[in-house]
Amino acid sequence: MKVLVVDDFSTMRRIVKNLLRDLGFTNIQEADDGSTALPMLQGGDFDFVVTDWNMPGMQGIDLLKAIRADASLSHIPVLLITAEAKKEQIVMAAQAGVNGYIVKPFTAATLKTKLDKIFERLA
Amino acid sequence: MSIAMTGRISLEQAKSLVEFLESGQQDAADAIIAEIQNPINSELFAEIGKLTRQLHDSLTNFQLDSRLNDLATADIPDAKERLNYVITRTEEAANKTMDAVEAIFPVVETISEQVEAVNPSWSKLMNNDLDLKEFKSLCLDIDTLLKNTGKETQHIHRLMTDVLMAQDFQDLTGQVIRKVIELVREVEDSLINMLTAFGISAEAGQSKSKPKVGDNLVEGPIVNRKSRDDVVEDQDDVDDLLSSLGF
Repeated sequence: MKVLVVDDFSTMRRIVKNLLRDLGFTNIQEADDGSTALPMLQGGDFDFVVTDWNMPGMQGIDLLKAIRADASLSHIPVLLITAEAKKEQIVMAAQAGVNGYIVKPFTAATLKTKLDKIFERLA
Repeated sequence: MSIAMTGRISLEQAKSLVEFLESGQQDAADAIIAEIQNPINSELFAEIGKLTRQLHDSLTNFQLDSRLNDLATADIPDAKERLNYVITRTEEAANKTMDAVEAIFPVVETISEQVEAVNPSWSKLMNNDLDLKEFKSLCLDIDTLLKNTGKETQHIHRLMTDVLMAQDFQDLTGQVIRKVIELVREVEDSLINMLTAFGISAEAGQSKSKPKVGDNLVEGPIVNRKSRDDVVEDQDDVDDLLSSLGF
């Protein structure tokens, strides 16, 4: 399974990558914002996207909308891992078609639970 | 009428004004008007002069010009530099820690594999079920495991010390942030002084401004969760909200 991790902070990408690797995901690529991520997604056969919300350039919510609007990408599950914690934002993400929403700071166990749930639903 | 009563225009002036206008002497008529208005103008100028002096005095009294100038040209750029230092140091610390942790993972993995490899023969031995050939092979495996574990625990210990030392950023960044907080407090005081100098109550404007939908939507980490009702408390709150939406 090919995963794209999108976050503007390299340390957070590294944390998420380590956690994902621990959960058995070995094919992981990185992007530092939505506008870098989108062409990567369009050019590669990614199966899963983990993204932050607040990034310079294209934000995570706009990346999510762009993925849902693109027929060739719309099937890809998207997990938001973000410090954004306003209820309206969570509602907005849900309406935009997010598959999971994790608020930072988060734990490895939370990530595992959400991933299990996402893939269980898709199965 | 009121002008006539306060004596700013005399009956003669009024009569001559009408005369000049009737006989088409516009310049002479304008001169009379100017004559009438002059006293009013000078009062106005006096008032403006007084206000200007007051404003100047207020500004000088509160020493806004010099301190605010320092704040804007020296202290705030310095604070930006300090905060950038915090970003750099915390990033370094995070990377140093992750370097060490990522180096520990495979070491632990190797030890765990070697233990796994020894385990079946060891169980057999404990059950008196091991023949001599297997026993010799087990001895060699255990020898490798012991030597390797001994060496690698030292390695892990060294890496753990690196993790420990990477936490020294907390003390340094804490000091820097405390200085910036002090600066913010000073800027706040100066701004309140300025408001007071201009006769604006600092309290009046203290309506709890909350970011509205769409505008300022992205806020970053919420630092005042307890006093907010528009944010979620934790992951459980997020999950509850999402499941209430049918997720």
